[in-house]
Amino acid sequence: MMCDECGIRPASIRLTTITGGEKKERNLCPTCMAKLKTTMPELDFTSLAGILSGLFQNANKATKIGEEAPDITCENCGMKYENFRKTGLLGCAECYTHFREPLEKLIMSIHSNTQHTGRVPGGIAKKVSLKNTIDQLKGKLVEAIAAEEYEEAAKLRDQIRMLKQQVEAEEAETNETN
Amino acid sequence: MKPTDTLERDVVVSSRVRLARNYRDIPFAPSMNRDWAQETIRRAVDALAGEKDVYHLIRIGNLTNAQRKQLVEHHLISYDLLKFAETSAALIGRQDTISVMVNEEDHLRIQGLLPGLQSEKAAELVFELDDILGRDNNYAFDPQLGFLTSCPTNVGTGMRASTMLHLPALSKIGKLSAVLQAISKLGLTVRGIYGEGSEAQGNLYQLSNQVTLGRSEDDMLKTLTAATMQVVAFERNAREVLSKKDTVLLEDRLMRSYGQIANARILSSKEFMGRYSDLRLAASMGYIDMSYEFIDALMMDAQDGSLSIDENGELTERELNIRRANFVRSKLN
Repeated sequence: MMCDECGIRPASIRLTTITGGEKKERNLCPTCMAKLKTTMPELDFTSLAGILSGLFQNANKATKIGEEAPDITCENCGMKYENFRKTGLLGCAECYTHFREPLEKLIMSIHSNTQHTGRVPGGIAKKVSLKNTIDQLKGKLVEAIAAEEYEEAAKLRDQIRMLKQQVEAEEAETNETN
Repeated sequence: MKPTDTLERDVVVSSRVRLARNYRDIPFAPSMNRDWAQETIRRAVDALAGEKDVYHLIRIGNLTNAQRKQLVEHHLISYDLLKFAETSAALIGRQDTISVMVNEEDHLRIQGLLPGLQSEKAAELVFELDDILGRDNNYAFDPQLGFLTSCPTNVGTGMRASTMLHLPALSKIGKLSAVLQAISKLGLTVRGIYGEGSEAQGNLYQLSNQVTLGRSEDDMLKTLTAATMQVVAFERNAREVLSKKDTVLLEDRLMRSYGQIANARILSSKEFMGRYSDLRLAASMGYIDMSYEFIDALMMDAQDGSLSIDENGELTERELNIRRANFVRSKLN
């Protein structure tokens, strides 16, 4: 197979790019791949800066989705999502329920995570809540794969893997202490 | 003789841990009315009433400007609490190491402050108080998102753990920004002495965790301690570099600074912070025999609020600068 870019050299790299939900596959030779790297820094995985700038763009995209979205009001305190966007401050604990979807996206872009691990008030079983979340994420993963949203799927996969490790580590710890 | 290096005090001035907590059934502090504000204060006071440690309730609205400033200078409350002076309060516990701010951005901000590097110990104090304040099981908590806070940047553990570092040598040899940049890659941020948005004075920098969701408190505290130890090692290294280069020159510069601060008649806040930094470095190099405890207390007490605490009206800048010089002179001679 020849390189899609120059058509002269044989292709040895398959590059899959997803831009704005549009997936594109190209077969490239090392020379053309190197050229592409200089124009798209996020392709340069050898440099940390490249990866970070890639992450940053994703985070920005997530925030933008939140901006376009919602005309929602919290039924408990009357806070409008639009006002929250201006001040960065929510009105009450229930805002987290009523603004759940856009908030989760925003929280993901701030913390790179949406699952609390740590202290709980009054000893609510932590492990149970972790396992529930893993199940939820697995569901989302299946949906993402079906919709060919590979970028999203990769994120979910990493999240699930991390949570599983946590559950295992905690189980090992409990076994040790018993 | 160099002071004994316990708790890495030659570089680490203090360690602080702060938890953000909210009551489930009350609007968040920025959106609530005065009645709700009274209710959160009442709940916090009631929860601590039976404890053997005594907590003093201070309503910010009842304090003079100087008294408010003094609490900020002693890191017992934040500047932000003063923005809500009419509805906010603070509960100050034993030896000023532990305090609860009520009705800042969140209903409760529980914080512990200890000298040197002892983040885990500060966290223990704070968790103990957290359990007491949350005993009625009325905190806003979500199994997935953790403790709910009025700003989503604090959601999850609600914990901000920080260490205050004195980094004069790194700054002097021009390596500071490189070190701080590397630190930021570990999920930690660097701020000035009085927290978010404040500038660095006296070569003091605050290192704290950036995210509050997805990592346990223990995990974050370990990262903070490890990163702090790294910076401590870099700073000690830089001090050695400075001293090897020309030890007499370094001693001369620091001791001249000591002479100036001990004899000045007018001392601006900015100059004082620079001299404080020199004094602290001189002590760590063994040039003067002075404890970190003394030097750090001097620094806090020579700020504007503490200097004008017994004054009814506001002092002019010149009056403050003269007072600062007098105070420092009396302490150093």
